[in-house]
Amino acid sequence: MLENFNFRIIWEYMPFFLEGLRNTFLISIVSLVLALLVGISACACRLSQWRLLRGAATIYIESIRSTPLLVQIYFFYFGLPTLGLRIPEIQTGILALMLNSGAYIAEIVRAGIVSVSAGQIEAGIASGLNYFQRMRFIILPQALGVTVPPLLGQAIVLFKDSALLSMIAVAELTRSGQVLSSERFMPSEAFLTVAFFYLCIYFFLKSLADWSQKKLIFREAY
Amino acid sequence: MIKFEGVHKWFGKLHVLNDINLHVTSGEVVVICGPSGSGKSTLIRCVNRLEKFQKGKLWVDDVPLHDHGVNLTQLRAEISFVFQQFHLYPHMTALQNVILAPVNVRKMNKAEAADLGRETLTRVDMADKFDSYPAQLSGGQQQRVAIARGLAMSPKIMLFDEPTSALDPEMIGEVLDVMVQLADEGMTMCVVTHEMGFARQVAHRVIFMDEGELVETGQPDSFFDNPQTERAAQFISKILTH
Repeated sequence: MLENFNFRIIWEYMPFFLEGLRNTFLISIVSLVLALLVGISACACRLSQWRLLRGAATIYIESIRSTPLLVQIYFFYFGLPTLGLRIPEIQTGILALMLNSGAYIAEIVRAGIVSVSAGQIEAGIASGLNYFQRMRFIILPQALGVTVPPLLGQAIVLFKDSALLSMIAVAELTRSGQVLSSERFMPSEAFLTVAFFYLCIYFFLKSLADWSQKKLIFREAY
Repeated sequence: MIKFEGVHKWFGKLHVLNDINLHVTSGEVVVICGPSGSGKSTLIRCVNRLEKFQKGKLWVDDVPLHDHGVNLTQLRAEISFVFQQFHLYPHMTALQNVILAPVNVRKMNKAEAADLGRETLTRVDMADKFDSYPAQLSGGQQQRVAIARGLAMSPKIMLFDEPTSALDPEMIGEVLDVMVQLADEGMTMCVVTHEMGFARQVAHRVIFMDEGELVETGQPDSFFDNPQTERAAQFISKILTH
């Protein structure tokens, strides 16, 4: 079986793969940073006292979480231009990944904030700290401890999800595999190489997640 | 210092505080006991407005808590509260726990606050644990840090909500010792507890609550040895037989 495996062709296409890898990296990082901003803002809205903000955030989060990412990508890519908004593929891809991950991140951050026990908040209230001081000194530092590992998990998901952008012809990693596969008809070489690169990214992020888990989680006080 | 006048509170239909009248003077140590669910915790939680009440009047340090627009943050800075479950901040060291409020509420500068914090922790016999995190401390040590956290605000009143109920028996003594010391120094204290020894030693008054009512009040010795009401007698016989 392996005698048919053509390593030479992989080597030949290596620059092409590396360019795909670079694009996957750039798209994912940019999407992730933007998704964090969107997610934290959406979370703040969801926990807000104003019903309008809360409602808007809930609609955003639930509609993203209830629909497939591929459908969202198709909507932005094929749907937006018919509504008169024309943006290039890469930006469309980043927009879709940002909004998609943003919704999940909003829920992760919210879970972190809600996980801080009522007793902690009462202790802060009882000692005369105001709302912002309690947030800054008591709630957020503890929420961060339980939030970082699942956030890195979401980053891994986002990296892998960026493969779906190949469906709208963004020249990322999976797309380079598709090109090799169709130009030379060597799908096993193409997609094993692609998978290998995803694996590398995964292990990098996973070790970061494991390290942060050890570093950041605090044991309860009793 | 603390004056309840006909205070009522309901949780939905449950009448948790029923016509409470109580006057605690400055420097007085009051022990509140009673069966679980009798409203003792709710009573002291009203004093720093962790709980609201629906009817009646309550003055704390001459501030009328029944009025709207009371500056609660300012009031709470003068009242320290010690919880049954300690509620230390797990991501901060003992010293950081103690100085958080002095720095941010009293606006003390950090170096000054750190001195105060070390001094206060020394008072509760935790001089060797400044930089320990709560998870590294035993229950008794955590509760003493929690008391130091309250003390560091130089409060006018200290409220204790079953401070020894979550502790292993061998640690109860070290926490009570600290509280006895505070009482001797003249702190105004309201303590929800069933520790009779502590009550006899330092309490000026024992208050017995049942079903939201303030049933009986008396000197510790006469209350425990010779209760006036049937309900108090029953309660005392129950805590004595175990």
